Parts: sequence; C-alpha cells; structure tokens
Amino acid sequence: MIELQHLKKEYPNVTPLQDVNAVIREGDVISVIGPSGTGKSTLLRCINLLEKPTGGKIILDGEEITAPDCDVTRVRQKMGMVFQSFNLFGHLTIIENIMLAPVKLLHKSRQEAFERGMELLRMVGLAEKYLNYPDQLSGGQKQRVAIARTLAMDPEIILFDEPTSALDPTMVGEVQAVIKDLADTGKTMMIVTHEMKFARSVCNRVFYMDQGGIYEDGTPEQIFEHPQRERTRQFIFRLKTLELQVTGREFDFIGSTSEIEKYCYRNQISVLTAKRIVSVFEELVAQILLPELGDTPMQVIVEHSEEGAMPETTLTVDYTGKAVDPATSENQLAWKILRSQCKSVERTQEGEQQIIRAKLNPVA
Amino acid sequence: MGKLSWKQIALILMVLGLCTLRFVFKNADAEDTQPDAKDITSVAQLNSEEYTVGFITGTAAMYAVEEELPEAHQKNYDDPVMGYLSVQERKIDAFSYDRKQMELAIRNGQEGVRILEENLGANTDIAAGLSPVSEIPNLEEQINRFIDELNEQGILDEMYDRWVMQGDEEMPEDVRAAENPELKLTVGTSGTVAPYSYYKDGELTGFDIEFSRRFASWLNADLEFKVYTYDAIVPAALTGDVDIICANLNVTEERLEAMSFSKPLYIQENAVMVLDTGTGTENQGFLASVRESFEKTFIREDRYQLFLKGIGMTMFITVLSILSGTAVGFLTYVGCRRGNPIANRFVGLTIWLVQGMPLVVLLMILYYIVFANAPIGGAWVAIIAFTLTFGATMYRMLEMGVNAVDNGQTEASLALGFSERETFFTVILPQAAEHFMPTYKGEVTALIKATAVVGYIAVQDLTKVGDIVRSRTYEAFFPLIAVAVIYFILAGILNAIVNRAVSSVNPKARKKEQILKGISCHD
Repeated sequence: MIELQHLKKEYPNVTPLQDVNAVIREGDVISVIGPSGTGKSTLLRCINLLEKPTGGKIILDGEEITAPDCDVTRVRQKMGMVFQSFNLFGHLTIIENIMLAPVKLLHKSRQEAFERGMELLRMVGLAEKYLNYPDQLSGGQKQRVAIARTLAMDPEIILFDEPTSALDPTMVGEVQAVIKDLADTGKTMMIVTHEMKFARSVCNRVFYMDQGGIYEDGTPEQIFEHPQRERTRQFIFRLKTLELQVTGREFDFIGSTSEIEKYCYRNQISVLTAKRIVSVFEELVAQILLPELGDTPMQVIVEHSEEGAMPETTLTVDYTGKAVDPATSENQLAWKILRSQCKSVERTQEGEQQIIRAKLNPVA
Repeated sequence: MGKLSWKQIALILMVLGLCTLRFVFKNADAEDTQPDAKDITSVAQLNSEEYTVGFITGTAAMYAVEEELPEAHQKNYDDPVMGYLSVQERKIDAFSYDRKQMELAIRNGQEGVRILEENLGANTDIAAGLSPVSEIPNLEEQINRFIDELNEQGILDEMYDRWVMQGDEEMPEDVRAAENPELKLTVGTSGTVAPYSYYKDGELTGFDIEFSRRFASWLNADLEFKVYTYDAIVPAALTGDVDIICANLNVTEERLEAMSFSKPLYIQENAVMVLDTGTGTENQGFLASVRESFEKTFIREDRYQLFLKGIGMTMFITVLSILSGTAVGFLTYVGCRRGNPIANRFVGLTIWLVQGMPLVVLLMILYYIVFANAPIGGAWVAIIAFTLTFGATMYRMLEMGVNAVDNGQTEASLALGFSERETFFTVILPQAAEHFMPTYKGEVTALIKATAVVGYIAVQDLTKVGDIVRSRTYEAFFPLIAVAVIYFILAGILNAIVNRAVSSVNPKARKKEQILKGISCHD
C-alpha cells in the first residue's frame, strides 16, 4: 500500500532520516519504536508530507506522492493523523471538529456528517460531550475525539504520533483501549510510541528506528524477544552500557574502577553489584589478560539490564590479538575468583578478533 | 436605555468632580487677598526676570517682546484665548497681542484682566499673505490694485471702523458672489480671531472674511475658505493649498523671507494684557455658572450646530478609517502571508514608516507634500492617513493573533486534507480573532481620539470646533470638558458597535440551534 524508497530528510544541521526503505501493507499495524531523536515522528510526518522529504520516494497505491505535481491535499485526505498534542480546533464544538472536514472536503451533507460523527463519538464513548468545546475536556477525552475526527474522513491509514505521551498516566489507558479496538478492526495504522507493552499488544509489526533509518523490522516476537541486532537489543532490554579502554600495562586501573563505580551510581545499580563488576574486571582484565597480552589495547564493555525477571550484568572484553583462555591461565587463583562470581565465561573468536564475555552472577 | 453601566456612572462622577474642583478653586482665588499679586503699571516694568510674558508664535508681538523685554521669561501660545486665560489664572504676568482683539475680548466677557495704555514696540502692518505658487495670474499685482481701489473709495477704512471700532458683526449684503467665475480663489484663515476671522451662527465672518469676499467678487472668482491653525497656515500657502491668507496675519521679517504680502490692510497696535487686581471676579453660584457656560458654548449663535458638524466630521473620518484600515490591513496580511520576500520587505518598511512617525507629521506630510497637488480635501487626506495607521496596526494585530494560534492547529487541519488557504480561513483566522479582538477594540477608541489632530490640515473636527468656540466664549474650562465628554460618548458608541459586531462573529457565543443548523437530532 505504501512504499518508502530511500527516503531522506535533512535539516541544516541534523539528518534524522538517512535512508529509509519499507513496504507497508494493508492491514499492517506497525509500532515505531526507538530512542529519542532517531526520526520516528519525522518518518510519520514525512509520510503524510507535513515534512517535505529531501530525497527518495513515497509511493501510495502506485502513485508517487513525493512527485512535485502531486495533489497533496487529496493524498492527505486518505491518511489520518493523530497528534501528540491532540490539536482539536479550539473555536469549534466537538461535533463540529468531527464534521468540519467531511462537510467541506468530502461534501457530505451536514446531516450525514452529523450522524456519522455521533456514531464515532459513541464508539469512543464521548457522545454526550458533542456540544462541548475542546477546552472543557480532559486530555484523554481530547485524544479520543481527535481519533474520531480522523476516522470521520475514512482514511486508508492512520498515523499516530505518540498519541499518549502528552497524557496524564491515568488517562493513557482509555486512549490505548480505543486504539486497540481500532487495530482489531483491521485498519492500517502506524503508531509511534514509547509504551513498549502497548506497542507489543497492539501491533503485528515493529519498526525499530536508529541510525537514520529502520534499523530492524520484524514481528513483535522477533523484536521484543529475540532482537537480532546490537542496538535493538540494547534498547529493548534497556541496557545500560559502559565502555572502557585498556591501553596496556600502564593503564589507569584506579581510574577505571572509579569509572565503573560512577556508572553504577548513575544508573542506580546496587553497591554489591558494583563491587562484583570491579572484582570481575580486576581478575579478568588485570590479573589474567594483561600479563599475557602486554600492550595490546582492549575494549571493555559493561552492560546491565533490569528488564527481565532477574537483573543481568555482562562484562565483555574485545581485542585483536592472540587467543587467551582464562580457564587455562597461569593465575589459577584469579580464575577461581572469576568463576565464583560468574554464571558463565564464554570465549569466541572471529579471525584475529577475540571476544570474552563474562556473565555475572546476580547479587542476592 | 436600561440601567446605567458603571462606566457611565464613572464618567458622570468624573465630570461633576472636575466641575466642583474648578468651582472651589475659582472661589478660593476670589477670596484670596492676593498679597503677592504684582501690580503692573508700565510696559518697561515687565523687562525683568520676575515676569513671564506670553505671545502668539510668529506674530509681531513675539518680535516686540524679544526686542523690548529681553529680560522677561517668554512663553509661546498658539491661541490668544489661552493667553488671556493664562493671565487671568496668573500662569503668566502679561500677554502681548493685538490691542483691538484684546479689547473685544474684554468687551465680550473676558474677566479679571486689563490692558496697559502703552503699546509694546512699533505698530505692525497687517496684510494678506500671498502663495508663491498660486494659479491666479499676477496675484500680487492684482491684489495690490484691488487694495488701492478700496483705499481710494475709503472702503477699507469703513470696514475697519465697522468691524473693529464699532464691533458691528453684520456682514454687508452688497458683496456679491461671482456669477460666472473664471477663477477659483482659495483663502486660508483661522476662524479664531474675532473680529477679523471668526465663527458666528456657524458661519465664518469678520473683517478678513469680508475682504476676501470683495476680492473674489472683484476677481470674478469662486471663493473657498480653508481653516487652519496658525502653525499650519503659512505652510498651506507655500504649498499652494491656498492662494492667499487672510487671517489677521502680521507681516514679519521671517515670513517675508518665505512669501510675499499684499499692501497693508490696516495697522495693528501691540498692547499688553495684565491681571486686573482691582476687580475681583464676580461670584456666581455653581449651577448658575455652569448654566451660563452651557448657554455660551452651545446655545448662543446656535453653536451646537458647529459641534454637530464637528462630531459628524470626527465620526466620518473615524468610521471610514476603521473600515478601510481594517480592510487594507487584512488584505495586506493575507497577501503577504505567503508572499514573496521583496513584497514583504516593502510592506514591513511601509508599516515601520507609518508607525514610526507622529501622526501629526504623517498627516502633514501627506497633506502638504504627497497630496499637495491632488484635488482631494483635507478630510480625505485624513482618512488616507488614518487608514494607513489603522491598517498598519491591523496588520500587526493579525500577525500577533495568528502567531498566538498553536502551530498544531495548522498541522491538524493540513493533515485532514485542507489546503493552506482553507486552513487559514476556517481554522486559524477565527482563533486568531479571539486573540486580537481586545486589542482591536482598544485601537478603535485610540483612533477616534487620534483624529483630534486633523485641525492641522484644515479639517473642522470636534476638537477644532472646541477651539473655535473657545475663541468666542473666552473660557477654556467648559468647552474643553464638553469636548472631552463628547469624545467619551462617541468612543462608547463605537465600542458598543464593535462589541456587537465581534460577538456576532464569535464562534463561542453561538447558541445550540446555530451550531446544529440544518441538522435534525433524533436523540
């Protein structure tokens, strides 16, 4: 239904969309997730041309809508948009907000538009508010009206731009329920959201956006349970990472341990876990690897996640050089201490690149 | 009329309060034995730092004061009546002006002042000022020939005797208007200097007016008078807005540099008016004095008709300027909203210019420079000037109102499929209006008050009428308060109209039936 080809959006000092390629099929309910500033909203706004893409093509039902001679207003009538800040027209009543576009753009009779409007208001549970003005409604009610207003145009696809992020937590549920009902009717939708549970429950497809494009595209199971790529994984599991550079024998050991402590403090990781990370770092890097590797530079990555049932902490050492197996190290005392603190210590090798990953035992 | 609003009550209280204050102070003055009142007996006595002497800017009296009384403090006036009142109120010690006019003022009721026997400086020639760019051929030669003829027949002396010496206010019947005029004579005058040029029964009359009529008749020319303040009258002749000035105009060195004058019409003596310490002002009851002032200001010589004309003029200029200013501002804004940068720059510059200069200056520039040769009257120039200023304000208000509408409204409308234009008119403008309407109402009131400066370009609006009447009644208080009250009332009426118009287009003031027009509800 919609095809994005090498879509690009450049601003003078930032390029949120580098190269976006995707096909959106009829009936898709797509959650668009990803860290802030990765162009999720920009993507949505480019699709209905509120932002003009600076490169690439968007094809809607076989028609290139990014072409200069395309009638943008007609295209937009086929694409509904629900905004973070609702944007109901303040000078009109609720029912007029809903009737305005069908009467003026679809040339429906006022009676017809009114009846359809009331039907939609009943659907979102706000029929008795039809003569109120937007400023008399709560945020959640406004957003439900905004959804009804969009539906009144019978769009082929609805784009939701963070529909619940401006809401009071108590009102998020009512709006999500309406969106979920809508998803069950088979409407094509694209939802930018930060609510992972909601995203997962409502959609049949997920776009994880990062690095100027759709970084990973898959079913909710794939993305939320078995993310394939590094950044997706970090995002889904809310990984908190720390990178340390070990330059060789003369590296600043005290400095590195204090970096680890600071990282733990910043991310509210317990003091005991912090001690364990420092201990594993000391045994694995300082006691076992350094004497063997000498001045070979190493990159040490600490990752911590509290998403799952148990917190998970990993320490990964990544270097290019000769293979070292900690289990057979001369320093068996260090190896014993290391073993006692880790669930597993795995070693992988890709050519010259060596990776040693230690998964720490959780702290009781 | 229903109940009085608090505003109306406040207005009435304010006027009553002012009147009472005035009455109290006036009586306090009269009872005061005035131990420090300076008794002035000679002109020479005034040549000291202790004294302040007033005069009208640009008159021979001004030069006489500068020359003869260099030690005294000086004070400029634009209107002789204000000078007389200042002497009476002891704001200044003496006021130097034409003896005949001051005598007439005292005869007509100016109280508490007297005129020194001695004159100040030499006598001054009074003549008609001649426009250097008049279209009347050989103007100077013709007017001088005419004056010679009048002198030969003794008519000038007879006129002077009648208007100035006798105080006869009848305009002779035998001066006939030209029958098949070949020319047009435009005369600039002031209308505020009895017995030379003043209003009686709503008509201009006086020595200078009779002279102008005779001259027009002699020339076989159509005659038109234009009334100016003294500030504006010489520029009016220089730009050709009038052919001659007949307004008790003193021939001074400075004016001779700018324009030529006819042969003298009569000789004027500069006398000095001082406070009369001998006679206290007569004490009247409060109501009686208000009644008398009211009679003098409105009833005598049907002066209310002048006021009505002034109100008409003020409203004419104000209403037309508001209507066309609103339209011009709106169209410009709509045109510029997405217009090209050069056009926008031009509009921005125009607005900057219009808003950057005092209204009086803009008005005079338009009148004397831009439209100097255009065949349109002062009132229309005023409408153009106020249309420009109101249009500029309207533009800024729209800009402010539109900017105050959240950008999300535009996005939501565009996302529904409305075009840029439809979005502006159906979504943005109604909401912008809510933001700028309070300012708009304020600007309407501001405009009606701002029109008070049109007297500078010979338009007789309410303020100018107040000046003219003041020059006849020799009192400042009542006409000024009357003018203020009338302005309040006019502004109130305009505001009520604007309010009604605003609420009729306010979307939130609609009733259920209006919202659901053409819809039958089953529930």
